[in-house]
Amino acid sequence: MKFKINRGHFSNGLQQVLNVVGSKATMPILSNVLIEADGETISLTTTNLDLGICAKIKANVETPGAITLPVKRLATIVKELPNSDVKVEASANHQVKIASGGSNFKIMGIDREEFPALPEFSDDRSFTIEQGVLAGMIKSVAYAQSSDETRYMLNGVYFNFVEASEDAESGKLSLVATDGRRLAKIDNDMDVGDGMSGSLILPAKTVSELIRLLDKGETLKIAFNDRRVAFQIHTKDEDDGFVGDIHLVSKVVEGNYPNYQQVIPKETHQRIKVERELFLQAIHRAALVTTDKSNSVKIQISSNLMELSASSPDFGESHESLAIDYSGPDLQVAFNPSFLMDPLKSLSKDEIFFELKDEVSPGVFKTLESFLCVIMPVRMT
Amino acid sequence: MDCFYAAIECRDDPSVADKPVGVGGSSGRGVLSTCNYIAREYGCHSAMPVFQAKQKCPHIVLKPHRFSVYKSESDKIRSIFYDYTELVEPLSLDEAYLDVTHQNRYAWDIAKEIRQRIFEETQLAASAGVSYNKMLAKIASDWKKPNGQFAVLPNQSEEFMKELPVRKIWGIGPKSAEKLSQLGFDTCGDLQKQSIGRLHSTFGTRWGTELYQLCHGIDERSVTTNRIRKSMSVEHTFDKNLESLEECIDKMEESIEELKSDLMTSRSQRVIAKLFVKLKFEDFKSTTKEAEFKRLDLEAVRPLLEEAYTRSSLNVRLMGLGVRFAQSNDNDSQQLELDLDLGKKRIASY
Repeated sequence: MKFKINRGHFSNGLQQVLNVVGSKATMPILSNVLIEADGETISLTTTNLDLGICAKIKANVETPGAITLPVKRLATIVKELPNSDVKVEASANHQVKIASGGSNFKIMGIDREEFPALPEFSDDRSFTIEQGVLAGMIKSVAYAQSSDETRYMLNGVYFNFVEASEDAESGKLSLVATDGRRLAKIDNDMDVGDGMSGSLILPAKTVSELIRLLDKGETLKIAFNDRRVAFQIHTKDEDDGFVGDIHLVSKVVEGNYPNYQQVIPKETHQRIKVERELFLQAIHRAALVTTDKSNSVKIQISSNLMELSASSPDFGESHESLAIDYSGPDLQVAFNPSFLMDPLKSLSKDEIFFELKDEVSPGVFKTLESFLCVIMPVRMT
Repeated sequence: MDCFYAAIECRDDPSVADKPVGVGGSSGRGVLSTCNYIAREYGCHSAMPVFQAKQKCPHIVLKPHRFSVYKSESDKIRSIFYDYTELVEPLSLDEAYLDVTHQNRYAWDIAKEIRQRIFEETQLAASAGVSYNKMLAKIASDWKKPNGQFAVLPNQSEEFMKELPVRKIWGIGPKSAEKLSQLGFDTCGDLQKQSIGRLHSTFGTRWGTELYQLCHGIDERSVTTNRIRKSMSVEHTFDKNLESLEECIDKMEESIEELKSDLMTSRSQRVIAKLFVKLKFEDFKSTTKEAEFKRLDLEAVRPLLEEAYTRSSLNVRLMGLGVRFAQSNDNDSQQLELDLDLGKKRIASY
C-alpha cells in the first residue's frame, strides 16, 4: 500500500472516525483505524463493535492495499506534520512509513485481516431526510435521554416512523427521549410509504456521533432493521477532502421503548406564553443559589406575574419577577432548573407556551411546531 | 381511630359536630364510608347505601370525601407510632398493629400515651387494644370504643373469648358465622368445648386447626412491617472457610443469581443506588466494600470482592452481597417521576 495525501484532508478524515474508539478498547485492534487505499481514495474505518464509521478521502494511490494503525496516535502525528504533502507506505511486516517534508515516522500496524468488518445487513426500511432538519430534531430532544444504565432502553433517542393514516394526512417522523422525569418529543412530516412504519432506539453514543456529522451536506439516508441501523451521510464536494458518503453503522438498543404517550397530558389547564430568552435567563439566575441538595426553582404564577425563586439553607435565596399575560388561578410549582433550561436552550423560536396545572402535575413546554417537553415537578414539603 | 373520616369532618366543621354526619356517597347512589356515633344511634353504619341511611336518619349531614386530609392526618398519627416502635403494621389509614414487646414499659401505658398524643396533635379520639397477639389486640381495641382502651392478659384470654360471638373472630365473616351458628356454634365458648379432633372432622384439618386456635385466643402471626426497605442482601456462612479468592468468586456467582431472583420476586420498583460486598473472616472481623450500582453481574461485583478480600490475610467464613436502595427524598423535596411503567422492565435488565 502506498499513497500520497493532503495533510489537511487526512487529518479531517481521521478526526471524523476518531471518537468511536474508546479510551479502553477491549482488543488492541479496536484502537486502530483501518486504512484501505484504492483508486483515487483512501477509506478510513473505525469500530467499537457497537458502532462503526467509515469515511472516504481523496488521495493519490500508487499501490492499493490496506493496513490498520492506532488511530489516536496517528491523528496526532498527522496533525503535527510540517508539510502539506504526506506520503504513506506500508511494508510487508505491517510497518508503516509516514513522510512529510523532513519528518519521517515508522509506525507499527496490525494486519487488516484482524479488523472486524462493519456489519452488512438487510435494510428492512430506509428513509431520506435533510441533514439540517434531522440535526435540529435530535438536538431538541437528546438532552432528555437517560444515562441510568439500569434503564437501558432509555439510553437513547427513540425514532418512530409513522405512515399516513385516516387520522394523519401525511406520514411523520417522531423523535422522543426521556429519563423518566422529563420527556421531549418532536414531530416532522415525512414521506413514509405504506407498510413502512417502524421504530428504533438509537443509542446515546451514536446520537452524539450523528449530531457531530450532520453538517457535511444536504441529505442523509437512514436504513434499519430490528438489530442495526445505518446512516449514509452525504458530504458536499468541498475542499475538506471527503468523497462520497460517510457511513455510520450502529447497533440499536434492543427492547421496547415505554409507552410514552400516556405521560403526555391530554388536556391543557393553564397556558402561559413566555419569551424564551427572558425566561431562560431568569431561571438561570434564580438557579444560581441552588445546590445539589436543594436543586429546585419555585414558580409562582398570579395575575400577569410570574415569580421565580430558589433557596438553599447553606447559601441563600434568589427571586426573579417576569410580567406575563395571565388571568387564571394562582399556581405554585417547583422544578429542577436544568429540566426547564435544557429545552429552552435547544429551541430557537422566541415564543414558547408553558402549560401548568398544579404542584404535582407536569409542566409542558410547547411550540407551534409540534415540539413538546413534559417535565415532572419537584414536590416541596 | 374512632370513626376517623367522620371525626375529621366534625372537627373541621364544628357546626355539624352535634348532628348525625356521614361521609361519602355524595352521588346519592353511593354508600357511606363511615358515620359518626350520633348517626350510628339511628342505625346508620359504614357501607350502608345512602338512601337507606336517609330513611333511617333523614336529617343526616353528608360530607364528601377529602382523602388528602385523611391521608395527612394518618401520616401524623403514624409518625407518632414510629416514635415507639419500628414494628408498625398499618391495616388502613386509621388502624395499625404495633409490636412494643421490646419496650421496657407496660404496653398499657404506651397505648395511653399514644392516644393522648394523637389527641393533642389532631384533636381526634383513638381507641386501643392491648394484648399478647394480634387477634386479641384487635378485638380488645373495639371493646371500649369510643376513646377508650382495653387489655386482655394471657391468663384472661380463655375467659375473654368464651362470651365472644364467633363473628368477632378475625377471618369470620357473616356467611361463616351463619354456618357456624347452624352447627350450634354462636360464641367462641361453644367452639372451645370441642376437641381439636372434632373440629378437624367437622371443618377439615386446616380450617379446623385455625378455628381451634382462634377460639382459644391463640394467634401466632407476627407484626409485619411494610416500612420502606433500605437494602436487600443475601448472606452465607460456609461450612468450610473459603481459602482463596477463586473460591470466593465461585460462591459469589451463586450469590449474584440468588440476589437477582430475590430482587425479582420482591417486585421492587425502587432505584438501586449502591452495590455492596460483605466478608467476615475467620477471626470474625467483617468488612464491607460498596460502590455505585451499575449492574448486577460478576464484572461489577468482582472489584468489590477483590478489594474486600485483600483487606485481610485470613480465610473467609461468611460472604454477603447486597444492594442499597436510593433514598427517595432528602426530606425537603422530591423529584416526581413520569408514569412510564418501567418497573418490570428494569428488573428484567439485571
